[in-house]
Amino acid sequence: MTRLIWPIAITLFLASATAHGQTGYQLGHGYDLGPFNFGGYGAVAAYVPDRGSGTISAEDISLFATGHISQLFNPFIEAELTHLDFVHPGSSHSSGDSGSLVLERLYDDMNLTDSFTLRLGKMLAPVGEWNEIHAAPLVLTAVRPAVTYRNFSEYLTGASLLYSNPNGSVPDLQFYWQPDREFSERPSTLTFHTYKMVEGLHVKFPISLLDQIGVSVQHSQDFQGVDQALVGIDFKYTLQKLTLQGEWTYSALSGRTSGLVRKNEWGGYLAASYNFAEEWSAYSWYEEFSNRTSFAAARDLLFGVAYRPDAAIVIKLEYLQNIGGKPVNPTGLFASWSVLF
Amino acid sequence: MIRPLLVLAILITVLPLQSSSAEQLLIIANPSVGDIAPLSLKEVAAIYLLRITAWPNGAHIVPVNREIASEVRTDFTAAVLQQDTTSLAAYWNAMHFQGKLPPVVQESELAMLAFVQRVPGAVGYISADTPAVGVKVLGHVD
Repeated sequence: MTRLIWPIAITLFLASATAHGQTGYQLGHGYDLGPFNFGGYGAVAAYVPDRGSGTISAEDISLFATGHISQLFNPFIEAELTHLDFVHPGSSHSSGDSGSLVLERLYDDMNLTDSFTLRLGKMLAPVGEWNEIHAAPLVLTAVRPAVTYRNFSEYLTGASLLYSNPNGSVPDLQFYWQPDREFSERPSTLTFHTYKMVEGLHVKFPISLLDQIGVSVQHSQDFQGVDQALVGIDFKYTLQKLTLQGEWTYSALSGRTSGLVRKNEWGGYLAASYNFAEEWSAYSWYEEFSNRTSFAAARDLLFGVAYRPDAAIVIKLEYLQNIGGKPVNPTGLFASWSVLF
Repeated sequence: MIRPLLVLAILITVLPLQSSSAEQLLIIANPSVGDIAPLSLKEVAAIYLLRITAWPNGAHIVPVNREIASEVRTDFTAAVLQQDTTSLAAYWNAMHFQGKLPPVVQESELAMLAFVQRVPGAVGYISADTPAVGVKVLGHVD
């Protein structure tokens, strides 16, 4: 239980800082120290499955730092402690899984012009919007649809060229290339495939400040020798209090596919959320995900409600029901509290 | 009878002035930004939406905002950014996670002015009533 103390201490500190409106610090915007900004996010989650024992865990405790030193030196680093169980009766450990410390991102942004940036290092792969802003306080649901993190390489280590028009009048573009294996690979317990080559393109058509249509293309090769060609589309569209969003990806698999039951992998989700009060929203998504190793597509339906007392804090309660196929996300009740600081 | 008329005359004289001064803002920047042309409202919006992040001389832009309850911020947001507060908060939080720094918040007109005077690359806005001392005026919002 002592593990619960420090997340609570951080919460109390942040709540206190917000309440006192400290000048120079705003919840969600990080803390400035010279040319650096230090921020992060934390998420504590409780999961009660229909079958088996429940868990309470620090799903993510992430710290990141951004530096603006010069036009060509703008470093960014993010490290994350993930899946740290506080309570897990079924675990072989005395108090559950001890978590994994992972390097999420480590790169430098070189601002070549107003519109072009060259990024070198380890970064998130721009496949869909969810993967790029996957922090719990920023995304719709505590349970992540499988299509937002499977069927592609979530990370890449290499070079990326980003184009962003200052007026937003032309679509944003991002080309990327990973020539070799990922730097500081995540442990096998956290990944589905390990890639040795990744290349791709993401195009984002802005509709409004938060709404967009994105198109993703990615070609990759994993260490099992499976060659993967992905195409995907994602969108977000707001109609007053109603927001619709979704993502769909399809991968054609070739190369060493002998251990797979199919030569493709695909999935898609469609979500709707409705702000029924200033700080409250109700939401739902439906997903189908056809895994390369399963004959039938998993079909999941989720309902939830979120309370957002601040733009950087959100409490979610949701129920997921697997309604077909081999479950990707098990049926059960999920609750989470998360903060961006 | 003279007294109410006097009050009415004062109100007629003062109210329009208060209204126009509350709406007019000056866009100010630290003198380190160099000799640059006045900014259009579109360019100011692009700076605050983090789509323009460097001055023409290559220096990093540090946008500064007033606190959320400030009337000046409300006027600035309506006239320049043309977005609602909730959407902006969500947008800036997402940008922060992606390594772009949201505007720094200063909680008074004087704090805003002092910050922009002091910090290289800083850009902010003040009411036209406040003397823009020690900063460069890059535009105004009517």
